[in-house]
Amino acid sequence: MSAATQPLGGRVTTQTIINAIKNNPIVVAIALLVIVTSFVEPKFLTGDNFDNIVRQFGTLIFAALGMTFVIMAGFIDLSIGGIISLVAVVTVTLIDPIGQGPAILVGVAVGLGCGLLNGALILTSGALTQAEALFITYGMSLVYGAVALMYVQGVTQFLTYSKTDTSLFDAINSGGVGILSVSAIMFLISLAILYVIQRRTYIGRAVVLTGGNKIAARLAGIPISRSIVLIYAISGMLSAIGAVVLVSRVTLADPTMGTPYMTQAILAVVVGGTALIGGRGSVIWTVVGTLLLILLNNSLNLLGVSSYVQFMLRGVILILAIWLDTAKQASVGR
Amino acid sequence: MNTRILDSAKAILSLQKAFLAIILVVLAMALFNLIPSTRTEFFSQLNLVDLLKSNSIFMILAMGETVVLIAGGVDLSIGGMMALSGVVVILLINAGVPIPVAIALCLLLGLAIGAINAFISVYQRAEPFIITLGMGIALTGIGQQLTNAYPVTSTNPDFQNIANLQVLGPIPILVVVMLVVLAGVHWTLRSTSFGRNVYAVGGDYEVAKYSGINVLRTKASTYLISSVTAALGGVMLASQLNSASSIAGDNTALYVVVAVVVGGTSVAGGIGGAIKSATGLVLLGILTNAFNMLRIDSLVSYLPTALLGIIIVSILWLDSYGRKRRREAV
Repeated sequence: MSAATQPLGGRVTTQTIINAIKNNPIVVAIALLVIVTSFVEPKFLTGDNFDNIVRQFGTLIFAALGMTFVIMAGFIDLSIGGIISLVAVVTVTLIDPIGQGPAILVGVAVGLGCGLLNGALILTSGALTQAEALFITYGMSLVYGAVALMYVQGVTQFLTYSKTDTSLFDAINSGGVGILSVSAIMFLISLAILYVIQRRTYIGRAVVLTGGNKIAARLAGIPISRSIVLIYAISGMLSAIGAVVLVSRVTLADPTMGTPYMTQAILAVVVGGTALIGGRGSVIWTVVGTLLLILLNNSLNLLGVSSYVQFMLRGVILILAIWLDTAKQASVGR
Repeated sequence: MNTRILDSAKAILSLQKAFLAIILVVLAMALFNLIPSTRTEFFSQLNLVDLLKSNSIFMILAMGETVVLIAGGVDLSIGGMMALSGVVVILLINAGVPIPVAIALCLLLGLAIGAINAFISVYQRAEPFIITLGMGIALTGIGQQLTNAYPVTSTNPDFQNIANLQVLGPIPILVVVMLVVLAGVHWTLRSTSFGRNVYAVGGDYEVAKYSGINVLRTKASTYLISSVTAALGGVMLASQLNSASSIAGDNTALYVVVAVVVGGTSVAGGIGGAIKSATGLVLLGILTNAFNMLRIDSLVSYLPTALLGIIIVSILWLDSYGRKRRREAV
């Protein structure tokens, strides 16, 4: 099995590392940029900047981890922006009535509920293609976003205006054990669970096989239906956790704050090398993809590149990542 | 006899959900007009002309998108293309370039971007959904860099006449251009060999290939068409507003694609048409307008967006479900 189908699989030898580099030119390119930046701009390697990077990592990584499973199964979830917005406003508005702990739990439950609803819609409609999932989840993103706006009447909710204790949010933002922040611990736990699901469980393999060829998977008795519900539930729930982390960091909840995360999560997954057509990928590489995206933004900021050019580069990287991946697949004779 | 009526009723239901929905909306508005407290100006000439004007740009974009979708592709760069084209046309005109030349340059820009999309997603076989999504983001970024993310306004007073000059009573040129594009795409798809080939390529790529159709060139042409119509839409939008913003197209592409799909053009390719897409777009436009007229947002603000989302999801769900039933019947 080649490194392309099994990133970070098996024993790590020099050969697998060389293969990984060959298979992920985008990763290498961004890594080079980061190295150059650290030489050109001394601020890059300071503790403050590191802190900055870790904070930005927070929300995006959760959304991207969820998206990895969805894309691995050959589907896509455009509704995560709406889910993040909805969960953020629900969580913050519930702090005063029911307390911070229950508010966070309800928020995550709302995310899970949205994910299950997505899964149910895709499943019952019998959608088998990414395109069908794309449009249905886009419609749902409108619904979730509008519900968030309706719920708070478009008004931004401030965490600092809460009359009761919000120490949990402070803890998620700045507390921690040793060098690990609470959000980092949450991330590591989520990653570990997802990794085990992906590599060690039947349903995890079913998800990947669903992405390979749905008709063949169905004929082979792979539980496609369970896979579909699982991936959307995971995506919804992780987006919700991302929303809680986001609220903790910016100390407010805006009913449109989730919007940018949809494209960024797809970008992170794709840069990480998970094939958009499904059937291949890994949550570990999504972590690499997310980290590289944030490092890229950070480096460009420090180098003084205008934010508009950065925005443009995001599109260019997306195109290059997919293009190079396709060329690679063609060369190995898929 | 009864089964025939039932069959034809089924056929109508499965074919034109968007059309039925439009009829329902119009009937509902007519009913509301019978009750004094919910009487609206929905059927007034002013509103109907406004409905046409406000949906013409989307319609121009939807026509190009329809061709791409029928050929089995998708183009999400049309929003970015529209915004960039609007920005470029105004910057060129402000720089002293004659208006026709500026417009021609914008359409050429559309052609060039379409060629890049086509090269990567057709000839290199990369996933068009992400390629064009990335292209849309890149084009928006270029537009922001060109204008510093500020809206730009045309200094040449003649420019706004391109879209706004009223030619047939209250109907401006914009609507005429839209109808010409609609008719042109309808004719191309229905009555030319290129149109036939587009359906064939989208219906079954391999079969089309072995039938001697130049599949690559046919599919690539569809991206050129959608990019040029998007560029044209951008020029018309800039002229209509006499200004352009680099972020004007942020939500356009998905809205237009969804409208086209709601109209019954299949995302899987091979099925659809200009009229179907127009129906989908009119449905979404008329719904938004009806919600505004009934002042639904005064009951609960933002309710119209939620309703629109629910209606979109329902129609797409029914479509997928219909496909599933057919699949299982076979």
